[in-house]
Amino acid sequence: MSIVLACLSGFALAVASPWLYRLARGATGWLLALFPAGLFLYFSSFLGTCIAGNAVYTAYPWIPTLGIDLAFFIDGLSLLFALIITGIGALVILYAGEYLHGHPHLGRFYAIILTFMASMLGVVMAGNLITMFIFWELTSISSFLLIGFDHQREQSRAAALQALLVTGAGGLAMLAGLLLIGQANGTFALPHLLSQGGAVRQHPLYLPILLLILLGAFTKSAQVPFHFWLPGAMEAPTPVSAYLHSATMVKAGVYLLVRLGPVLGGTEAWHYLVTTAGAVTMVIGAVLALWQTDLKRILAYSTVSTLGTLVLLIGLDTSLSIKAAMVFLLVHALYKGALFLVAGAVDHAAGSRDITQLGGLARAMPITATAAVLAALSMAGFPPMLGFINKELLYEAKLQAPRASELITTLGILANVALVGVAGIVGVKPFFSKRHTTLQHAHEVAPALWIGPLVLAGWGLFNGLWPDVLVNPLITAAVNAVQPEITSVELKLWHGINPVFGLSVITVIAGVGLFLSHDLWFRENWRAWLLQTTSRISPQRLYELGLVGLNKLARAQTRLLQNGYLRYYLLTIVATTIGLVGYTLFMPGLPTVTTESKLDILVHEGVIAGIIILATIMAVTTRSRLAAIAAMGTVGYGVALLYILFSAPDLAMTQFAIETLTVILFVLVIYRLPRFALLSSTPARIRDALVALLAGGMMSLLVLAAVAGPFQSHLAPYFAAHSLDLAKGRNVVNVILVDFRGFDTLGEITVLSVAALGIFALLKLRKEH
Amino acid sequence: MNIADVQIVSILPQTLLLAAALVVFLADLVWKDRKGIGLLALAGVLATFVATVVMLAGPGVPTFQHMAAADRFALVISLVMSAAAVLAVLVSLDYIVRVDLPAGEYYGLLLLAASGMMFLGAATHLMTLFLSLEILSIALYALAGIRTTDIRAGEAALKYFLLGAFASAFLLYGMALLYGATGTTSLAGIAAAVPSVQTDPMLIAGLALLLIGFAFKVAAVPFHMWTPDVYQGAPSSVTAFMSVGAKAAGFAALVRVLVAVFPTLYAWWVWPVGVLAVLTMTWGNLAALAQGNVKRMLAYSSIAHAGYILVGVAAGEAGVSGVLFYLMAYALMNIGAFAVLIALERAEEDAAGVELERMRGLFHRRPWLAAAMTVFMFSLAGMPPLAGFFGKLYVFSAAVRSGLLVLAIIGVINSVISAYYYLRVVARMALAAPAEEAEPARCPALTIGTGIAAVGTVLLGIYPTWLLNLVQGTLAVLFGG
Repeated sequence: MSIVLACLSGFALAVASPWLYRLARGATGWLLALFPAGLFLYFSSFLGTCIAGNAVYTAYPWIPTLGIDLAFFIDGLSLLFALIITGIGALVILYAGEYLHGHPHLGRFYAIILTFMASMLGVVMAGNLITMFIFWELTSISSFLLIGFDHQREQSRAAALQALLVTGAGGLAMLAGLLLIGQANGTFALPHLLSQGGAVRQHPLYLPILLLILLGAFTKSAQVPFHFWLPGAMEAPTPVSAYLHSATMVKAGVYLLVRLGPVLGGTEAWHYLVTTAGAVTMVIGAVLALWQTDLKRILAYSTVSTLGTLVLLIGLDTSLSIKAAMVFLLVHALYKGALFLVAGAVDHAAGSRDITQLGGLARAMPITATAAVLAALSMAGFPPMLGFINKELLYEAKLQAPRASELITTLGILANVALVGVAGIVGVKPFFSKRHTTLQHAHEVAPALWIGPLVLAGWGLFNGLWPDVLVNPLITAAVNAVQPEITSVELKLWHGINPVFGLSVITVIAGVGLFLSHDLWFRENWRAWLLQTTSRISPQRLYELGLVGLNKLARAQTRLLQNGYLRYYLLTIVATTIGLVGYTLFMPGLPTVTTESKLDILVHEGVIAGIIILATIMAVTTRSRLAAIAAMGTVGYGVALLYILFSAPDLAMTQFAIETLTVILFVLVIYRLPRFALLSSTPARIRDALVALLAGGMMSLLVLAAVAGPFQSHLAPYFAAHSLDLAKGRNVVNVILVDFRGFDTLGEITVLSVAALGIFALLKLRKEH
Repeated sequence: MNIADVQIVSILPQTLLLAAALVVFLADLVWKDRKGIGLLALAGVLATFVATVVMLAGPGVPTFQHMAAADRFALVISLVMSAAAVLAVLVSLDYIVRVDLPAGEYYGLLLLAASGMMFLGAATHLMTLFLSLEILSIALYALAGIRTTDIRAGEAALKYFLLGAFASAFLLYGMALLYGATGTTSLAGIAAAVPSVQTDPMLIAGLALLLIGFAFKVAAVPFHMWTPDVYQGAPSSVTAFMSVGAKAAGFAALVRVLVAVFPTLYAWWVWPVGVLAVLTMTWGNLAALAQGNVKRMLAYSSIAHAGYILVGVAAGEAGVSGVLFYLMAYALMNIGAFAVLIALERAEEDAAGVELERMRGLFHRRPWLAAAMTVFMFSLAGMPPLAGFFGKLYVFSAAVRSGLLVLAIIGVINSVISAYYYLRVVARMALAAPAEEAEPARCPALTIGTGIAAVGTVLLGIYPTWLLNLVQGTLAVLFGG
């Protein structure tokens, strides 16, 4: 029960937070930060259980008919994520209180970010695939609301919508995949799925399932070519970028891949797809990061690169690579969260995030600068930071990749060199390069703004020096959750001189060189050229073109199909009917319609039929309305004559009456109608004639089909037999009308009287006008 | 026939509505208070709602002369319909005074249409099927044109009538063919006869024509052309009710006929229904995307929703409960969305519906109204954990279970497209308001209606189980007791 409360109480607090803000005002951030901090401590208590490779699972029936439980599942993997979410969450909320100080909608901000936190906890702790999906989409929605938080700006709103469409679409694709997994296994419950992974891999739809799930994971975790929403999302307030778009939400895809690895992984398709996407993203993200000028966009692209590395490691799918991924996840959350918060503090203090404008801030902002440098060192992989341990591990995992290890390692070195350069650009350059004059008076920021970055960066140092305290147990727990055999992870700062250390040294030297020569190659004209070229072929552009195209298509087809002309509507309906009924009549497996050739037509029957046909042709070709009506009347009379010939005089009488009445009515209104206008062109008339002929042909076929089979009437013999003894009448038709169907007759009379009353009322109305 | 044997209680909700319609028509002759007549109508629909709930909870009642059933399927449809009718009357109370509509005709026709819809949901006989379809259609033709001063409304009503008459003719011809093939007009009788004559072309052609008739009523593409004009031309409250009620009724009849009468021909009808579903979803969404008028956008999107429901129909027996759930969810969220539009609508300039630009700044002026609209938009877009999401989940997972993966995926893609235009409304509401904007209408009944719809949409999302249990296994008793 307490797990459920821990996961869901965030939603309750979110609802309450705007009121809390009204009461507590400036202290709200400090108060609300206590909540995730408390959760952090609570979740820490699960560490012992998880190190042993055990998991906690609680489920409450929610929608039993669909197999959806409100289920929560904590193992080492969930725990690692939960601690990152709550730990960084506390720091970010604290930070945001100061960063958005005085913002008119701060109360709403707290509500949304708490909703996000609760949803994100839900994603990583859900013990049921559908429950996980629900939380997953909730993170997308809260991300949408947070990116668009400054909704007055057009850019914010466009970026918010773009992020939601990309991740929401991926999420829905994932839902289709999850439904299929559930169908293959007969359950959505995570513990059952993990224990019987084979079912999905042997499923005939394995590849579609895999693709759908990967689509969800790749969009959420910003893999190329879906990465473009992440830099766009930098429109969000900086604490949001630090929290959602670097430390937590974008890792949800990574979480999903690790989580479903035992269910979906281990196949060739998995290996190639995941590794390739990861490798490409790793390199492209790192390279693009170097060419940005905005601090946040630099960080965003480097996050893309990191996410690529994580996905790549998961795709390698060795015990070592999973371990490396877990460590990297933690390290990255620490240093990137810190760097984002630093960027926000710099923006706050110096009024700019443009690295070509920033410089020499170390003197004015010593504490922030310390945090920045520590985080940058961790990012660049300098000893004794945790980042160094991590880099060694990354190289080791890549060198031991089962396939193409040379290529992967080379790409890894490339990306890492670029990231070392990036670390320098964001963590060192604004503080230590020569001072620019265009800046407003920079000053150290309030404690709430430096506590977060300093704690996060400090953790990177502390854990690097003493990995046994927290990192080893945590990573052990996470790795044991995913791997079948229980191991104990023991990371050490110093491994001695070996090839991996050699790679680290090369990376650092090349990276530092890149940073120092930054000003040389980072020339405005080169940059402009590069950005222009890439923007022309980027997926971002494709997305925009897609949207524009979709809108155009929507307009065009609406104009075409919804043109407002009744005659086209009718044409469509008739044509569809012909298609559907035609499909029926000619579908295989049905006996073909055969009529016994009763073509013994008598002469006068033939004459009448001929008259009917001629009159029909006249009715559709004549230019005179009166002639058309007369022709229609002829058709009707012809049919009535046929009734007489086939011994149905009562039908014929009815038909005569109706035809006469119709013609009279027509003649009455004909003088009120406008002149016959030729509204359609010849091709249109030919098309109409074709459709009309087809429709007529279809109806004839149906009639032939109807008379082909033997027809047993149950009614006629019944009425004939019982009209005398039940109704005491010899005229069967009379008896039917007044006795067997007496109520019907009464109804008809009533209807006619009401109709007459209505017409009377209408006539009266006209007189009054 | 003994009058005492007539199980009038089994058609109690429908009868109550008919009675209420008559009372309203008569009261209108002597009583000129439009609000008062509205309250009479409200009492009628509330009584119907209560009767339906009581019957659902009760032990079950026999069919009405084998013409109409009071089985769980029919009662759930009645529940949807009476809930929709209650909401529609609530949002109309103030609105019809504001836009100057004749109260007697308005409420009377509304109640008549609702009773026709309920009969359609209960019909177990071709005659009841056709008659109830005509009752609801004719009432709706008149309602669509009730704004006699608006030439667009007149044109829309005329088009609706002509096309509707056309579709009815197809339907009737199909029924005649079915009778010819099986020798009976009761659905149970036809169902019993189908296996022995199922290769008879006459039977299948009859089924095809029936399908076309219903496709017209539920506004499936390409039989949807009347919808945008009619939905835009009719008063917003009528549009809200129509888009929900007529759709629910049409789907009820379609499901009963296809799933209960023709299960052995599933392999035949799954194709046309599937194709209709794809066309309907895709076309409806694309067209809604192009609209700058919110009312028209909702009209087109209602076509798209018919497409999602058709996915459930195509899933066959597995989809029945999903269809019912979806209909309930759709009733709440769609009428809710229209209720917000009604609050914004002003008599003169919004005759053609509220433009998207008019949504600007709603968050600042009326935060709760805007929050309700956000709930409806997110739910219509199928975002969890709201009612619309579970509707889609239910329907799509039924499709997956029936092996119609492609349909489910196309449905998912369409949901993405729809998110774009629904969220556009949300984004617009967050913008700053132009200064000269007039205050949206405040009226207790409208507020209550909007509130019920919003709370219902959320609750149905957080706790859908009660309704799911209700709709579960309705098929087993489709002709029952």
